[in-house]
Amino acid sequence: MDFIESTDSARRAGKAFPLLRFVLPALVAVTTLLIASPGAGAQETPYFVAYSHHLEEPGNLEIETYAIYGTQKAGGDFIAPWMEFEYGMTAWWTTEFYIDSQTTFGDSTVFTGTRWENRFRPLMREHWINPVLYVEFENTTDADKTLKEVVGVDNQFDAAVPNSVANKSHTHEIETKLILSSDYRGWNFSENFIGEKNLGHEPWEFGYALGVDRPLRLAATPRPCNFCRENFIVGAEMYGGLGTASAFSLSGTSHYVAPLVAWQMPSGVTLSVSPGFGLNENSHTFLLRWGMSYEIGGFGRKLRSLFR
Amino acid sequence: MRRALIPAFLLCASFAAAASSTHHHDSDARGVWKVIAQAPARARNQKNPYEGQADAISAGQKLFKQHCAECHGDDARGAHGPDLRSPGVQNATPGELAWLLRNGNLAHGMPPWAGIPEQRRWQIVTYLKSLGPSQSSDSAKPGASTPGTAQ
Repeated sequence: MDFIESTDSARRAGKAFPLLRFVLPALVAVTTLLIASPGAGAQETPYFVAYSHHLEEPGNLEIETYAIYGTQKAGGDFIAPWMEFEYGMTAWWTTEFYIDSQTTFGDSTVFTGTRWENRFRPLMREHWINPVLYVEFENTTDADKTLKEVVGVDNQFDAAVPNSVANKSHTHEIETKLILSSDYRGWNFSENFIGEKNLGHEPWEFGYALGVDRPLRLAATPRPCNFCRENFIVGAEMYGGLGTASAFSLSGTSHYVAPLVAWQMPSGVTLSVSPGFGLNENSHTFLLRWGMSYEIGGFGRKLRSLFR
Repeated sequence: MRRALIPAFLLCASFAAAASSTHHHDSDARGVWKVIAQAPARARNQKNPYEGQADAISAGQKLFKQHCAECHGDDARGAHGPDLRSPGVQNATPGELAWLLRNGNLAHGMPPWAGIPEQRRWQIVTYLKSLGPSQSSDSAKPGASTPGTAQ
């Protein structure tokens, strides 16, 4: 009975929150920026889960809005939208702030927390394999379904817990990644090794993410164009869990493979989409990610000039 | 308490590093020349596959506007970053410029552009070499502006 009441109240309270108070104003803000600011050409790879060694250009701000739709065997399917604000602090350091939410069909819509990530390039030159160190602080709830990473024995049944219950369980986690990435003849190959630690005395959880992509055309055409092959990137990602420090194995873990395509327009807007497929019975059967990003060149300098 | 200290520490570190990084921008020309001088002979002597090709110049100009104009100005005469028509840049070999584009100059704020395909980097080099040296007296002064100090 309590469970039913709490589900209803969560539904009533949560329904309007992210959609009306957060997502819509955010979309208005993004649209305003699109109209008001000149875009900058990005070079980051359009992966949803994996990271390459290409960081945000210093002083540029990239505003990204993404969402994931996932099927759920025991429970309602879900859509989890999130926003990212990615800023190039220096040429070797990118910082990023996330705001997460989710809607579970037949349940409710809830705000699920924030994350703050930092990526550092320790080496000053390009090499065959380029390492990047990643550290992220997560302040989320167990209702988070963005699936930005899959670690430990994460599986689809975690997402079956009703929002009213899962959203009461707050987690503070530190996530670390060793990102290794290479560029070869227009291809990017990225390998991420993930270690995540819940600060509440849980064991370390491990995971991986792999990514490969390539533009459809390597050389640019002489004239500006939106629909030419050089603006399209195709690739694929694979990611999954590797167990915990006390049980480092594939047993009970979930894994996914996800082709992706991105359209990088000269205006600075990138649209991307990626259908994902679960590889075992622990995985969600189908995931669909999509998103839009817009890069504002020289944002930091413009901001500093306001205060001079 | 310990949980609160971690983000607080990271935040302080962020601001400290951001402040120090802005200090280095647009300055310390000698550091950049040292970077170009470190280009290995193999890279320095590389031939530009698009040298002098009109289509490559146009494509390079288009790419320059997308990726470089924010710091170096629409006409490459420098904005927040250095003048790319300066003798220092124009006298560099195509291979040196391609090497600098690929590796950037992280210590001085220029990002590496290895994320765009090699063909496109050569197209940018072709465009830059087509510009010829600037007539501006400022950019002709030794050390007045140098490649790679883009913000």
